[in-house]
Amino acid sequence: METLVSLLTLALIASAIRVTMPILLAALGAVYSERGGVINIGLEGIMIMGTLFGAVGDYVFAQRFPGLVESVPDLAPAAGVLVAILAGVLFALIHAVVTVTFRVDQIISGVALNLLAVGAARFLNILFFEVSTQSPGVSGFTPLNIPILKDIPALEPIATSISPMIPAALLLVLISHWVLLRTRFGLRLRAVGEHPLAADTLGINVIRTRYAGVMISGAFAGMAGAYLAIEQAHLYFEGMTQGRGFIALAAMIFGNWWPLGALGASALFGYFDALSLRVVRLPVPSQFINVLPHIVSILVLAGFVRRAQPPAADGIPYSKEEE
Amino acid sequence: MKWRLFALQFATPLLAILFGVLIASIIVLAIGQNPLDVFGVLIRFGLLRSDSLLSILFKATPLIFAGLAVALSFRAALWNIGVEGQFYIGAFTAAYIGFTLKGLPIFIHLPLTILAAAAGGMAWALIPIVLKLRRGAHEVITTIMMNYIAAALILYLIADVFRDPSQVGTPRVRTPEFPPSARVPSMGPLLELFGLTGPDANKVNWLLPFGLVLCVVFAIVLSRTRFGYEVRAVAFSPLAAEAAGIPNARIQFLMFMLSGAVAGLVGLNDVLGFFGYLDIDFPKGLGFLGISVALLAKNNPLGVILAALLFGFLDRGAQGVQFFARTPKEVIVILQALIILAIVVAYELMTRYVRKQRKREAERPPPAATVAAEAGR
Repeated sequence: METLVSLLTLALIASAIRVTMPILLAALGAVYSERGGVINIGLEGIMIMGTLFGAVGDYVFAQRFPGLVESVPDLAPAAGVLVAILAGVLFALIHAVVTVTFRVDQIISGVALNLLAVGAARFLNILFFEVSTQSPGVSGFTPLNIPILKDIPALEPIATSISPMIPAALLLVLISHWVLLRTRFGLRLRAVGEHPLAADTLGINVIRTRYAGVMISGAFAGMAGAYLAIEQAHLYFEGMTQGRGFIALAAMIFGNWWPLGALGASALFGYFDALSLRVVRLPVPSQFINVLPHIVSILVLAGFVRRAQPPAADGIPYSKEEE
Repeated sequence: MKWRLFALQFATPLLAILFGVLIASIIVLAIGQNPLDVFGVLIRFGLLRSDSLLSILFKATPLIFAGLAVALSFRAALWNIGVEGQFYIGAFTAAYIGFTLKGLPIFIHLPLTILAAAAGGMAWALIPIVLKLRRGAHEVITTIMMNYIAAALILYLIADVFRDPSQVGTPRVRTPEFPPSARVPSMGPLLELFGLTGPDANKVNWLLPFGLVLCVVFAIVLSRTRFGYEVRAVAFSPLAAEAAGIPNARIQFLMFMLSGAVAGLVGLNDVLGFFGYLDIDFPKGLGFLGISVALLAKNNPLGVILAALLFGFLDRGAQGVQFFARTPKEVIVILQALIILAIVVAYELMTRYVRKQRKREAERPPPAATVAAEAGR
């Protein structure tokens, strides 16, 4: 009974919300890419770039403009997030060129991208910080407190010191859902992912739309990395993504390729992730608690939880000429 | 036409390597070093010293197994990204048989140990392929997740269950040592006959020829046997294969199991051939390098040997680059990834070009002479 109660404390839920965010952001990115018909296994690598460049942007900005940062401390982390998004978009661009223009198998390109990210992150880290695996500490955003709730002691864990990136990410979920359901771009993106030939005959530029989908996914994955480095760990270190890019793909599939679904699924993974971070007394060796999210994602993919429906042309390169 | 296609097959990877070298040179220039220096050191240090040659052979050995494992799954249109995890488990099962059985002669103990490694790799590959064939779970993500789970499991088994009792209290976390009957003999004495001596001579062991033989066997099986034909049919067009009475699911299952079995052998080079125990810091990442090797080899088992040697050379050369050219050795890791990206694009373009040529040839009207001959018959 005691174990059960400890599995549902407010502190645990608060921590679950925090660690949900990187998975959620990357999963949102995956939604854009796959709705356009491009599988993006490279999300993990893009996220690695996001963690590194998030820390680099934050650190370098704080070094260059100490005066500015002193008066507005949030500028440094904001610069970090921006740089991470930019790096994510550029890195995703490689995936777009290789898969959309050259029509190379999307899985292969994604795998190669992940390999490149590991090497590039080490190399760049040496250039920026002179060691290969870690950055100096960086500052996060000023945390928010919810006005009235923060004064109730029982609610303290979930009502205080909230990263402003959390409401921003939640807002992005709603915006993304609206974009995909209601806007011209969203409908076109989905058309391109469901039936590119039909979309093409209607005058939609399939190639350009798919590029947009992949690059938006890069922006989200970069932001997810920035959250990990800037808000969660307050530094970059090698291997900090721990496969969250892949877990995000599982979350997107579990969320049935929709942003709101991805939110629910990411929260589930976030909960198990939080369990592994907190010292919860369970009769299982700690090594296995650490991989709970990974085990859950296998179960989810095996459809033990729900069957999913991917976009019809997901993973299939498109070319105008018949071959 | 035929010899041109043949030349193209060789020119494509070379061009991709050249492209990788070009981009890597730009990166080297950007950090204020001379690319000629870096690549000069890479070749002088990595290729022209006899101890480097031995080191390349030692480093290439696990890559041959890893590349072959990945290639076997890719051949059947399956994505085994889980070679990394499968080799962790294989290394452990081999270690377990290695240190628990005692007093056996080497010709029984060593084969048992190697079989245990293959069985371990297969066991870890079983879950993703069953989930794929039965439940439609995409093997890319499930195998990646199995990698993380394997790492956790190995950590637990080495640190908490099978830790060498004599090492408790020291920072060393490893299994007990194996008796000599579970170790792969070194090729050092043989290499010495050819004048190859050096600190790494004793590290090169009989797993290297074993891996080469394995590659040749699979090359023959895949290109010359009925089974190989069925694998190609399944990969090329599952529907047509099914219509021709080839059981898709069984072929895919078999190939994935073979892939897992070979993956289980990846760690043996270090565990049985060198250390003689399984340390918690055993070399990792070989499974992912195997993906690069397989992609570079275009999933051809004989190509895997060449690609593994190239990666072994780059890995060895990287140490020289770090030491003599004062350039971070990660440049070489980037070079490897760039080569892979370039190669997949190049192969894709080549395939498309060949297809177009074939189509054009098919559409071209046959020469008048043959038409006349046909008509006169």
